[in-house]
Amino acid sequence: MATGGAAAQRNAPVNGPHDRAALPVAFTGATVHVSPETSITDATVLIQGERIVEVGKRVRIPTGAEVYDLRGLHLWPGLIDPFSELGVAKRDPAKLKEQEGAHFWNRAIAASAHAAELYVPDEKRAAALRAQGYTSAVAQRMDGIARGTGCAVALAGRTPAEDIFLPRASANFSFSKGRSPDELPSSLMGSIALLRQALYDAQWYAAGGSREQSDADLEALTKLQGLPLVFDAGNAQDLLRASRIAKEFGLEFILRNNGDAYTRLADILAIGSPLILPLELPEAYDVEDPFDAMEVTLGQMKAWELAPSGPARIAEAGGRFAFTPYGLKEPAGMWASLRHMVRCGLDTSTAIAALTTVPAALFHMEDQAGTLEAGKRADFFITSGHLLDAANVVYETWAAGKQFVQIPRGREDPRGIFDLNLRTRILKLRVSGTPEKPVAEVRLADGDTTWAKAVIGIQGPVVSLWFEGGKFGFAGPVRLNGVIHDRGGIWDGQAQGPDGAWFAWSAIRQRERPPDNVKERRAMAALDSIWALPSGPVWYPMNAFGTTQFPDTETVVFRNATVWTNGPQGILRNADVCIHKGKIMAVGPKLSMAELFPKGKVVAAEIDATGLHLTSGIIDEHAHIAIARGVNEGTQSVTSEVRIGDVIDPDDINIHRALAGGVTAVQQLHGSANAIGGQSSLIKLRWGRNAEELKIDGAPQFIKFALGENVKRSNWGARDRFPQTRMGVEQVYYDAFHRAKDYAKEHEAYAALKPKEKAKAVPPRRDLELEALAEVLAGTRHITCHSYVQSEILMLMHVADSIGFKVNTFTHVLEGYKVARELARHGASAATFSDWWAYKFEVNDAIPYNAAILHEQGVNTCINSDDAEMGRRLNQEAAKTIKYGGVAPGEAWKMVTLNPAKALHLEHRMGSVEPGKDADLVLWDGDPLSIRAKVLMTFVDGARYYDRRRELDKKAEAETERLRITARMLAAKQAGAAVRKATRQEPGQWHCETIGERP
Amino acid sequence: MRTTASIMAWCCIAVAVAQRPSPAPAQAGSILIKGGTVHVGDGKTYDDGAVGFRNGTIDFVGYEYAVKAAYDSVIDAKGMQVYPGFILPDATLGLVEIDAVHASADEAETGSIEPEVRAITAYNADSKIIPTVRSNGVLLAQATPRGNLISGTSSIVQLDAWNNNDAVVKADDGIHLNWPAAFVQTGWWAEPGSTEKQAGDKRANALAGLRTFFLRAKAYAAQPFPRLTDLRLEAMRGLFQGKQTLYIHADGAREIQEAVLFAREMGVPRIVLVGGYDAWRVAPLLRDKKVDVVLQRLHSLPGREDDDVDLPYRLPALLKQGGVRFCLSYSGDMERMGARNLAFTAGTASAYGLSREDALRAITLDAAAILGIEQRYGSLEPGKSATLFISAGDALDMRGNKVVEAFIDGRRISLDNGQRQLWRQYEERYAKP
Repeated sequence: MATGGAAAQRNAPVNGPHDRAALPVAFTGATVHVSPETSITDATVLIQGERIVEVGKRVRIPTGAEVYDLRGLHLWPGLIDPFSELGVAKRDPAKLKEQEGAHFWNRAIAASAHAAELYVPDEKRAAALRAQGYTSAVAQRMDGIARGTGCAVALAGRTPAEDIFLPRASANFSFSKGRSPDELPSSLMGSIALLRQALYDAQWYAAGGSREQSDADLEALTKLQGLPLVFDAGNAQDLLRASRIAKEFGLEFILRNNGDAYTRLADILAIGSPLILPLELPEAYDVEDPFDAMEVTLGQMKAWELAPSGPARIAEAGGRFAFTPYGLKEPAGMWASLRHMVRCGLDTSTAIAALTTVPAALFHMEDQAGTLEAGKRADFFITSGHLLDAANVVYETWAAGKQFVQIPRGREDPRGIFDLNLRTRILKLRVSGTPEKPVAEVRLADGDTTWAKAVIGIQGPVVSLWFEGGKFGFAGPVRLNGVIHDRGGIWDGQAQGPDGAWFAWSAIRQRERPPDNVKERRAMAALDSIWALPSGPVWYPMNAFGTTQFPDTETVVFRNATVWTNGPQGILRNADVCIHKGKIMAVGPKLSMAELFPKGKVVAAEIDATGLHLTSGIIDEHAHIAIARGVNEGTQSVTSEVRIGDVIDPDDINIHRALAGGVTAVQQLHGSANAIGGQSSLIKLRWGRNAEELKIDGAPQFIKFALGENVKRSNWGARDRFPQTRMGVEQVYYDAFHRAKDYAKEHEAYAALKPKEKAKAVPPRRDLELEALAEVLAGTRHITCHSYVQSEILMLMHVADSIGFKVNTFTHVLEGYKVARELARHGASAATFSDWWAYKFEVNDAIPYNAAILHEQGVNTCINSDDAEMGRRLNQEAAKTIKYGGVAPGEAWKMVTLNPAKALHLEHRMGSVEPGKDADLVLWDGDPLSIRAKVLMTFVDGARYYDRRRELDKKAEAETERLRITARMLAAKQAGAAVRKATRQEPGQWHCETIGERP
Repeated sequence: MRTTASIMAWCCIAVAVAQRPSPAPAQAGSILIKGGTVHVGDGKTYDDGAVGFRNGTIDFVGYEYAVKAAYDSVIDAKGMQVYPGFILPDATLGLVEIDAVHASADEAETGSIEPEVRAITAYNADSKIIPTVRSNGVLLAQATPRGNLISGTSSIVQLDAWNNNDAVVKADDGIHLNWPAAFVQTGWWAEPGSTEKQAGDKRANALAGLRTFFLRAKAYAAQPFPRLTDLRLEAMRGLFQGKQTLYIHADGAREIQEAVLFAREMGVPRIVLVGGYDAWRVAPLLRDKKVDVVLQRLHSLPGREDDDVDLPYRLPALLKQGGVRFCLSYSGDMERMGARNLAFTAGTASAYGLSREDALRAITLDAAAILGIEQRYGSLEPGKSATLFISAGDALDMRGNKVVEAFIDGRRISLDNGQRQLWRQYEERYAKP
């Protein structure tokens, strides 16, 4: 329902006389909330056309102005949705079959899409937003990794040409390929690599590449300067991932978060980027049945409890954010969320700023919107009370000077209990239902408990009502017509009885509030009291094994232990080991503190390790734990551009579980779905820390290759992708490395140009895929190659020899025993399973004696897991080499410690208990190769990240926290809060062969 | 005592052995194993013990000094350990050869309620995997179908046989029911969506279907000679007569509760719970309803994110505390080739609250009792089958598990396998200059 307002699109013809009056409109008597901080009572707002003319207490109202009396009401600046897909549909998959125009090869990069060109008014959605007071939105096409530009739209229901007031309001990005029909990317790391490559391509395009090819998307990416860049990131880890891209390319993002930013607050604030936060809050779980409740994780419970305090925490710490109703099923739900956020500590003016001034500033529209000031667009809305009052009602929204009535003012809530005076009788009238659809009933004033139905109709201030009068002494129906006065409190008019006689009637409201509203109030009060108690702290990570305090580097002397040194000293009995400042300081019998620390001052904790065994930490050469959203970017045969290091998931519970199994470091490998997979990440298991803090400083670079059935897609997928045979696999390598050689030459040649020549030449394109392979050729990146049968192992070594690189490690290498001498000659390490076989055809000849034979033949041999479950029992897997092939215990132990350190070129820092090495140590309750061995403590860089005894305290703490939140959830449900059904998390794990980011 | 044989080291066995060695002939002469530690399987041990057997049946178990009868041959097991053959319940050994080769898979029939399909029919006694499992001490297994609401009928086999008929220890011992999960997750594990109770209808329909089926099966079983034969219903007959066991596969507390109450209500006398991750939480119910548990593989990750890191390892101790009888299984990923590690899961149980002999019992006597073969198998007692083996060390530990002799029904079986054969070949290759 829109009336009045501005003229039509100026340059378009008009059907009929032009509307030229543009009368000024004055709003008087309201409390005017000029900005989040300032409000003026009994003020006047004067507008003309689509602009505000004046705001203040003493505004002169020009003659001929329309005047709206808003006494007792509130007037607010219109809200701005910074993250909307209003009017901008996602691509139609049916139309994506053919490439139109000159575009980027991968349709996840759709940077040339411009929302301003795609915008189709969506009145339904616009009206839903206006009903909550929204008057403008930044709309984008939410489809793709580079999504193109967004436009700022006034929600005034006019033509796009009139409503779009900033056609280039933003440029938008995400990690999701959206509806791109191209296979790549299928993983988060693939998305990141693709975006990085596109941004590098844009640099090349600007530097002259455009002379070599045309590309509208690259063209668009060269024109980001000055645009607010919105990154639709998602969870807290994704915010950090996006920020690393921003840093690499000197960009500044506005980061959209799903509401968990508070879980990694310090790191996220350090980015310095403004955030867009949701107005959606997690629902409570139904935990009434304790069996159901077992399926709810403590992490989910804590998220429910803490999410409402997220915005307050961010604001307190100095972070800046805007809110979006995006994601809410009904925008009207935003007010309950906001009230809850305020209940949990959010400052009211910050909340309002996040709806108005902050988005206005972020999208460079402060001159137009966000506050009520002269010259700005007439965007505002009129309410019955304060925005955060539960009983608040939005009456009207004015967008660009155009009125949209939500609830007719003057039409009051008719609900209540009335005394109904009918000539000589007094009845009771009860009006319930909703203000829009009231329900009426009547009964006798005294002694009557049963309500008789009446039919009510309200049109503006006019009410009509009829009921069967038999019960009340009339001979038939009684019909009333009247007018509602005095905010609904008094109704009066004329009635006609069954005999045809007219008489006067009136109704006087006795009870102000209908009973259901009382219920709501009580519920609000109950919720207030439930939330008056403090919430728990943020744990790192937010699960039952998270911590509030990270372990410090300790100075410890282990006394009288059996020490598996892995060095020339072998296994020492009754030996001491001292760790200090994250390093192993001394190893030997009866260490003297006075000698170790001659200056004194250092206080070392003494751990009596009599009867216990001390070893270096287990290193898993082949793991897929702590990886987010996809372990394979297997969509192409060569994806050397993707990096596991981009997608470390520091919150993975398997980190903790591995620590409990004595693991201190792992190589996070890409999967084996393609011949040349992605770059590995080497991490230490610093549980609770952030992704970047897990990485091993200065670790050598690795990349995953793969051979055999997975690469040729024997067990899944289409049968037409090259390669389908081991013959083809070989050629993939030759092709890739010939290209990489040329690439390196091209870049060398360019670097050697004289400055003058350089200025003329188009710089060679930076290609992340070939760059990684050029590093292999240069010897600065090492290969870990998934392999099974002897022929393919020989093949890759031959390719390596003929091209001029080395294969660092063959992993799995289950037929390695057949070519052990060749492996030894090549100098490759082997990382194998202890006893896996028969899971596919190529492991038919796998034998558990593999490790023993390889070891005997002089190959550096490791036992690895490729599996989160086995990864926490690698000590047992190492022990199997004793059973299968008779490896000596000391050598067996090295297969999960020193040998993987060697394979990873980390043996100068890790893998043995020798002075100077990293204090990555495990204290066992007995022989670590025993089936009965238990880890008592695990140290990483001298910090105790696992302590079996302290786990009991942690468990008690988690249980207390769980019970406390359970009680709160139960109370919240009783107070009427919505709940969702309990859940079960499937404990799935990545393996080499897991394909895709989703099923 | 006419001859004293010393133990032949397995590496000395003739090289020219097929990937599957020939099954051993029936026991000819009587045999006495003496000098080792004898683990009876019921908790008792005899240091310097002895086990004697003739015609496939044990006739002496005790201390070496108490041996009175004469035996044709004597095996000196001094310093070694003698165990009853380990028993692998809920297994698909012999039903699939190579996971990724669909043509080699016979474990899961299509359908929904298929009690009539019988694992023994498809059991491949020549599977190349079997000798690799047997050589770690697992001598008996329950060949079990998978999939569907009711997967089919299992059979118990011994692992040294010419063919599937020859392998049978107990044919058609039970029927396997997979209780539908009460909670189903949306999304997938790597990116879980909001999870909710399985969209009510599907599960409710499945449960209603089961109820109807069981009621019909019971009515059918009451007729000794039904006019028309119904294969599904006929297959269920033994359940109601107590001749067969109903194996209910369920892990969650809620599912276990539902399933056990259902089976009791249907009047099934013999019920065994398989999986049983949450069984300890409902131990009083299981005790009360006399339900034994075939526990899931202990070497598993915790089933819930918040569960203790070592909860899977402690499940046996928790069940023992709760007074519930249980045995161990190795079901799950890589269950066939991994089954040779069954003993090590018992080793783990012994590190997490169970005594070593109790842990052993969970893969011997209690496994036999739960599978209903304890009259003949599961422990070293006079009158029982001579199904046993000698290990150089603690067979529950990777370092000690070196099986040097094994007997099934008194038959001295080969411990060779295709993997050992390849090992020997390549040792030989590298030994040559």
